[in-house]
Amino acid sequence: MGAGMVIRGVEKHFREKESELHALGPFSLTVQPGEFLCLLGPTGCGKTTLLRILAGLETPSSGSVSFTGSGSRGRIGYVFQEGALFPWLTARDNVAFPLRAEGASWGEARARAEAVLSDVGLSGFEGSFPHQLSGGMRQRVALARGMVSNPDILLLDEPFSSLDTRMSHLLQEKMRELAGGLSATVVFVTHNIEEAVFLGHRICVMGPRPGRIVRDETISLKGERNRLSAEFTELLLSFRRTFEEQVAPV
Amino acid sequence: MFTGRVRKGEGSGVFSPEGLIIPALMVAFWYMATRGGTALLPSPEQVLRVLASPGDDIASCGSLLWNIFVSLARVVVGLLAGILIGTPVGFLMGAHRFSRRLLFLITEMARPLSPLALLPFSIIVFRDTTLTKLLGLTQLRYSRHLFNEIQLGMVFILLWGAVFPIILDTMHGVRGIRKRHLEVARVSGAGRWFTFLHVMIPASLPDILSGYRMAVGRCWMVIIAAEMLPGTNSGIGYLLRYSYQISRYDVMAACVIVIALVGALFAKGLADMGEARLLLRAEER
Repeated sequence: MGAGMVIRGVEKHFREKESELHALGPFSLTVQPGEFLCLLGPTGCGKTTLLRILAGLETPSSGSVSFTGSGSRGRIGYVFQEGALFPWLTARDNVAFPLRAEGASWGEARARAEAVLSDVGLSGFEGSFPHQLSGGMRQRVALARGMVSNPDILLLDEPFSSLDTRMSHLLQEKMRELAGGLSATVVFVTHNIEEAVFLGHRICVMGPRPGRIVRDETISLKGERNRLSAEFTELLLSFRRTFEEQVAPV
Repeated sequence: MFTGRVRKGEGSGVFSPEGLIIPALMVAFWYMATRGGTALLPSPEQVLRVLASPGDDIASCGSLLWNIFVSLARVVVGLLAGILIGTPVGFLMGAHRFSRRLLFLITEMARPLSPLALLPFSIIVFRDTTLTKLLGLTQLRYSRHLFNEIQLGMVFILLWGAVFPIILDTMHGVRGIRKRHLEVARVSGAGRWFTFLHVMIPASLPDILSGYRMAVGRCWMVIIAAEMLPGTNSGIGYLLRYSYQISRYDVMAACVIVIALVGALFAKGLADMGEARLLLRAEER
């Protein structure tokens, strides 16, 4: 089981010369171990900032994040918005990177990397460099790199937002399929309502800056989520209403 | 300096059949101009005769081959010194703000200063110290060994010519490392050393190599000019000047051609190597 997180009153200010940007908070949230949480919010609501704080890439200006379970952050998988693959490494070695960083041998790391690449449907592309792959394939490599070390916490920052609809649907399905086999606690950040409803076991809707939660709901849709089902549509519409009324009033 | 992007299957593109047209025309013109025989210009045949037997001694200065060899050896040693000093300094300046502020001004002041301007000082400081003396290889002192010809004064000015482009390009390479890539390493739990080896070096390698390329070209220009000045009696530059003094214009022309050819070979070799991706792909295999 992945690690749970308790976020207490986290705030983040960025200082830019004269002005100060209030990017987030105060923001509080408890994430259960093993949960698949979708953070849904408009651009600039501070969701990426929150994710970076959870990953330890930023320190909060005030407030705290604590981790339940082992008590530490543990292993982190992080998938950046634009992949951020290393252009000088093959798909295989990109995925093997986190394992190598932890001290695994090349042989071990590559074998595991190949297995995970096959999980994301990229068998046969292990030796390709990022520039030889399509956008969707690159995102799949990034996904594989995020999952390869069997992380306690998997953080994804709009991983499919730069892809076309068909490809992002395909990868959302892949993501759901893979999430079943993961023990990680997943925090998936998106501004796409449909994506959140399709993936999330729990959806937190964040309002515009400085980022507070306007709706927090556990999704009861069981089993296969069918985009065409009445329940799915109903849920989608209900979140869209929340969005229109509280997040970005027209 | 080579900066163009290489198209697939074209290699570096330095040597192509079309590129021979103008040199061929020049030789033809040269042939026509010297056909009647002039006192000033040697004919292509005369020069070819010198080039055809590069192993023969020329006016007890050693052979063409030996002198090219000496010049190349000096460049290699000077360049290596430049790489060994410039790369870490450039890295430091790229990664560490205080170091950059401390060293940037002095680097930019020193860079435009011609290495040749330092030759007299260099000779005063290092006098006739050679690599042989430095390494304590006294048994080599009698023979005409390569190490006897590598004067530290020469190495120093080559170092001067090489080190600044290497420092600045390495610094730019390191500063240009994408923050995202460092963050990937950080969330992966990579240590400093691992991040340095597996992220910072490969990410900045294309710029580092471009600094090396620039340095090679500069060193070749500097050494030829330096050898024409006092301080040495070997090397292709020395042979060039000496053949002028004894009016062996055929040797002079042969030297110029050889210098140009070696320069072009450098350009080709470095352009081929400069495709950093190819380099890394080779490592992958």
